[in-house]
Amino acid sequence: MSTKAKVWLGIGGYFAFFILMLLIFGNEGKNDEFKPQNEFKLEPWLNIKIGGIDFSINRAVFYLALASALTIATMVWIARRMQQKPNRVQMAVELAYDLTRNNITGGNIGETKVAIRWFPFLAALFFFIWFSNVIGYLPLPTNTQETVDVFGIGVPTFAIYAATANISFPLVLTLVVWVTYNAEGIRAKGFLPYLKSWLPPGLEDMNPIGKGFIFVIEAISHFARLISLSVRLFANILAGHLLLLFMGGGLAVLLGIAALGALTFPMAFFFFVLELGLIATLQAFIFATLTAIYIGGATAESH
Amino acid sequence: MDLLIIAQAASKGVTDTGITDAGKSIALGVGAGLGSIGAGIGIGIIFGKEIESVARQPEMKDELQSIRWLGFALTEAVAFYTFIFGLIAFFL
Repeated sequence: MSTKAKVWLGIGGYFAFFILMLLIFGNEGKNDEFKPQNEFKLEPWLNIKIGGIDFSINRAVFYLALASALTIATMVWIARRMQQKPNRVQMAVELAYDLTRNNITGGNIGETKVAIRWFPFLAALFFFIWFSNVIGYLPLPTNTQETVDVFGIGVPTFAIYAATANISFPLVLTLVVWVTYNAEGIRAKGFLPYLKSWLPPGLEDMNPIGKGFIFVIEAISHFARLISLSVRLFANILAGHLLLLFMGGGLAVLLGIAALGALTFPMAFFFFVLELGLIATLQAFIFATLTAIYIGGATAESH
Repeated sequence: MDLLIIAQAASKGVTDTGITDAGKSIALGVGAGLGSIGAGIGIGIIFGKEIESVARQPEMKDELQSIRWLGFALTEAVAFYTFIFGLIAFFL
């Protein structure tokens, strides 16, 4: 039998399996009880309220604390046991350090004083976002919504949730970055010259009204960075988790067609590999790179 | 046909929850779908141009690689903006 025939036979067998499952289990009708958005709902585990502001401990706070603890622990642990002849973990961390040092900071700010001052910030940003993205794809039993009875004891179900899939976490990071690069620009140039440097070059002989108009557009673009930077990270991770949720069985439960799970589960595996291997690292890289570009652009001497 | 019913209901100011839900679903589906088309074309252009440039100058490969990922992520994010605005339309 040729390879082509084997492939077609495999595909045919797979669809025959799907149709068989469809005939056995059938259609149970649309399930209205299952709400996919509840997967991202934050249930307070520990109610803390100080002056009307909610400081409750919930899943997102747990993941955030876990990510920061992992970041600090890994880096300190590697730094403590540095060897002349590096083992695999040290090689990997050195590779990541090299990426943040030369590629993100050096490539976008250059070898200046500003780069030396802000390299720790950019590297910390990269590693922190990377860790919080990656632990988002480890199924931890943190779901308070659904429980499974094992010998009469309610065990929380395994859920994949990332702190970055919640808008508030990327938004706070973005606010820190935004304030940072503006403050660094003002420190490097002074307040009014910094605002003047928002104007693109080549407008020296333009009338003031046109300049003012372009300044307003540039100011809007600077404020839009707040939205674009935070929503990029948040939406990427949220969309990845939604895809995994729906492909990994959510769609079958929602539509009440159990056989659909046989079709969507391989896709869930594919998306899991894609998200963990590419998107998690890429988004951390993009966030740090754009921060470096913003800082570099704010402090650049002339255009 | 469904769209016609929704248009008629909208012109009469009908606030039936079924029709509003249908409109929200259409907004999410069509919006995110159209957004994905644009981002898909953009990502195709980025990777196509990168292959072209590496074929012309293979020694530039390492430099182009980081620029490619930057462009890919920036373009891909556009699809997610429409997705998020679709979700906002769906849930609010």
